[in-house]
Amino acid sequence: MAEVQTREKRILRILSIPMALLALSAIYPVFFAINAALKTRKGYVLDRFGITTDPTFANFSQAWNQSRLSEYFYNSVVVTVGAVLVLLVVASMAGFALAILRFRGRKIIFITILVSLMIPVQVVLVPFYRTMIGLNLIDSRPGLIIAYTAFFLPFSVYLMTAFYARLPRELFEAAQIDGANLLKVWWHIMLPMGKPALVTLGILNTLYCWNDVLISLLVLQDQRTLMVGIAALRGEYTTNVPLLAAGICLAAAPIVILYVIFQRQIVNGIAVGAVKG
Amino acid sequence: MTETVIAKDSKSAATPRRKSGGHNAERLAYLFVLPALALVVVFRIIPLIWGLGYSFTDYDGMSQPRFVGFDNYIGIAHDPVFLDSLVNMLILLATLPIWIGLPLVLAILIHQGVPGGKIFRAVYFFPAVLSSVIVGAIFNVLLRYDGSFNLFLKAMGFSAVDWLGNSSTALFSLIAVQLWSTFGMSLLIFIAGLSTVSSEMLEAAKLDGAKLLQMWWHIVIPSIRPIIEFAAVVTTIGMLTSMFGLIYVLTAGGPGTSTILPEFLIWLEQGKMNRPGYASAISMVLFLMMAGLAAIQIRIMSRNADI
Repeated sequence: MAEVQTREKRILRILSIPMALLALSAIYPVFFAINAALKTRKGYVLDRFGITTDPTFANFSQAWNQSRLSEYFYNSVVVTVGAVLVLLVVASMAGFALAILRFRGRKIIFITILVSLMIPVQVVLVPFYRTMIGLNLIDSRPGLIIAYTAFFLPFSVYLMTAFYARLPRELFEAAQIDGANLLKVWWHIMLPMGKPALVTLGILNTLYCWNDVLISLLVLQDQRTLMVGIAALRGEYTTNVPLLAAGICLAAAPIVILYVIFQRQIVNGIAVGAVKG
Repeated sequence: MTETVIAKDSKSAATPRRKSGGHNAERLAYLFVLPALALVVVFRIIPLIWGLGYSFTDYDGMSQPRFVGFDNYIGIAHDPVFLDSLVNMLILLATLPIWIGLPLVLAILIHQGVPGGKIFRAVYFFPAVLSSVIVGAIFNVLLRYDGSFNLFLKAMGFSAVDWLGNSSTALFSLIAVQLWSTFGMSLLIFIAGLSTVSSEMLEAAKLDGAKLLQMWWHIVIPSIRPIIEFAAVVTTIGMLTSMFGLIYVLTAGGPGTSTILPEFLIWLEQGKMNRPGYASAISMVLFLMMAGLAAIQIRIMSRNADI
């Protein structure tokens, strides 16, 4: 028995070597980008892969100022924060009603919202674009906030509904007996009780909004979000890799920081969709 | 499920006519779902119906649309670019076993307690939080003829390949980069699923002298089958609808049509602006493919939500 276990451990230890190599490959591209961003253009041409000995921050300031990344960064922050707040409020309200309240058509409404999961933006690209023009929402940050909310909402509603459905019902009954109206119940009980799910959704939706490129390309025209800006930078500076790399680092930094801080919530949030729990 | 009618609201109304109080609460309940429902209906469901209508017209963006029956569908069936995009998509779909197998094996190893498992889990998932624009822009540099990847290959004794510039390797490069950047997602789903496998069952199997591989194949994998199915559906949906950002930055569909997928073709067509009917027909084909998959996903999700 003990022999079997040591053999098993030895196999696992050997297998951890290719796994470590794969882990290195997962880190390498980001390492490459940081390293390249710290080189001068000439330094990069002379030595593309070596670790820089004489780091420069000129690329970062050039990307930030001349390539207008500061402006795109601001747009991305405004749109992401706005969309995430709207998403959380709308999803929490809908989840409360769908999970706790009893009204006619409840199930149909829940299914309708879930069904829209099978309508990604590509499927409605032309009419969605025309709807945005018709509602005067094209090329405006509020327009993009609304678009993000519409496209990232179904999963959030689903998660809030599933979360609220598992809370003990006595909570709301007690509140009802106290005579609190629904809005008060939602504000004073549902929002605080829903915090774990709301935190998960807040982080996931931040990732989706910050990282999006297609919806932003479609809705914004004169303005740009950061990812659209990076895509354009990629097209304009194919030969100036250090500048592009600096832009990449600036655009990825908030997400990398978010991941390092909230790793557990992100990791758990992903699994929630698959495994009830 | 208990049919506790929270919103019946007899106390606050405090009248003998309980029914009217119930109606009030019911109306309020609609107000709570209205924002979510309105957003989804206005920006997704109505556009879907609208697009379906477009797909049967010769609308050119300006003149009065005319009903043309299935002309647009016949048109795309003869469009070599669309057919190329379908072939590319089929090649992508054929790689699904790797997208499931790789994270599944890694998840089992991590679950079995491979040294450094927690770190592996965090690191493998890391690329999945990066935007496909970031991933695409970096790999666009790494996969160039003079890029890191060829340098590595040459060091190993292989010859360099123009991964993105060559139409026979561009699609595989695109697929590999997307796989590299997203397999962490399935990995997390599998690890979560494995944690629900009862350890007593595994212990019993061990005492019976089952070998490690046998145990995985006969006990562990069958017991997380629903999770594997879920991951397969989600991955396939991702293949159909989440490749845009990477294509846009990594290859822009080229060289030629070698990395155009239907979702990217819709974008190219809509950019031309002069034949929304034609673009909508391609959209509808993508929708039909999505619908079957999503129906399965929604069934799994509503089963889990348990309402």
